[in-house]
Amino acid sequence: MRSRLPVLRSRRRYMAFELETEGPGGFIQPKDLMSEIASSQFSLFGDEGASRNRIKLIAFNGRYGLIRFSHVLIPQTRATLAAVHSIRGIRVAIHSKGISGTIKSATEKYLPRLSKLSAESDGRRIELKDVSGCIIRTQGVKVDLCPDDRDKSVGSDTRYMGLTSFDLSGGHEDADGTADGL
Amino acid sequence: MNFYECVKAYPEGSSSASRMALTARNLGYKGIIICNCDPTRIFMLPAAERVTGIEIAVGAEVVASNVRALKSRISTLRTRYPFLVVHGVTDEIVRIASEDPNVDLLVYPCESRRPLSIATAKAAKLNQVSIGFDLSPLIHLRGSQRARWLAAVSRNLQLVRKFELSSIITAGAKSHLDLRSPHDLAALAEVAGFGPEEAEEAMSRQGMLLAQNRRHWVGPGVELL
Repeated sequence: MRSRLPVLRSRRRYMAFELETEGPGGFIQPKDLMSEIASSQFSLFGDEGASRNRIKLIAFNGRYGLIRFSHVLIPQTRATLAAVHSIRGIRVAIHSKGISGTIKSATEKYLPRLSKLSAESDGRRIELKDVSGCIIRTQGVKVDLCPDDRDKSVGSDTRYMGLTSFDLSGGHEDADGTADGL
Repeated sequence: MNFYECVKAYPEGSSSASRMALTARNLGYKGIIICNCDPTRIFMLPAAERVTGIEIAVGAEVVASNVRALKSRISTLRTRYPFLVVHGVTDEIVRIASEDPNVDLLVYPCESRRPLSIATAKAAKLNQVSIGFDLSPLIHLRGSQRARWLAAVSRNLQLVRKFELSSIITAGAKSHLDLRSPHDLAALAEVAGFGPEEAEEAMSRQGMLLAQNRRHWVGPGVELL
């Protein structure tokens, strides 16, 4: 097949994003993420809208990722990612980090080189006056807690409670929210 | 621009105030307003103040069982908190909230059977009550329910533009996973029918109201310096 002229080729943009999950991270597979993004896009913009903006997942490492999309449909792509709220029953949030014209520049500008993906589930317990439970994951100063009383997180559609080490006595003394390298 | 977001923290949400503040700061917000129904019971509020680079304000959501109680609760909370939110659960609550200048934000539920009325819009304009659009159904609903919600939003938005009401966009976050960055929220608002500049203005209005309410007003238009 004869190749297209370069001027006729559709122009593309690359968006770096961060996937925030509740509980232990790293369980979200790229295939599941892409199917959820596609479902969100079809639901929001329909078949016709999806045909004009073919979103493709370029890379995903469990927390950070890169997608390719059409250069004229930036708000639509942002909305598609923002409308994703759960993947395979796990609550997630996709935050777009930035947009660039090439994979190289998007990676260099927006994706941290040494991203800490370790999710330490150390089984420690928290016993405070208002809240008690087991620590599921710590990431920098962020702490995900499985409360003993499951009714604590009712109404917000999450399984775990989001806390920080500031909330817990004996946490990081010098923690300022930048310990995870962001 | 300085973007603000109204959130609910633990025990009314599932994330603590400090986790909300940390996430909001990383997303690019200038500040958050914690609008719990009972602001005295917010879990570890001093811990949230240790998160640097973000302003944390405590507002209140006014809830009451009847109209009389709502009125008295609004006037009681006004003196204590710089930002008051009312969720328009019933028509009666909507009427009272839109007629009370002490209310800052009336979050109107976008239901196709209960659109924003002209009387409410006129009262809100007269009393400088902002109309809030909670965009969480756009994230959480799918299919026909979301289509109906979008139709109701566009109808309410028509009236907001017609009467030149000030609108506020919020993600209605009860957890740090519900928060969206200002860019993403603006993109969602555009899907719902807002213009790009309209959306930006709607996200920064909370901060303007907060600054205005923190000044010492002794009467309408009279400030104590």
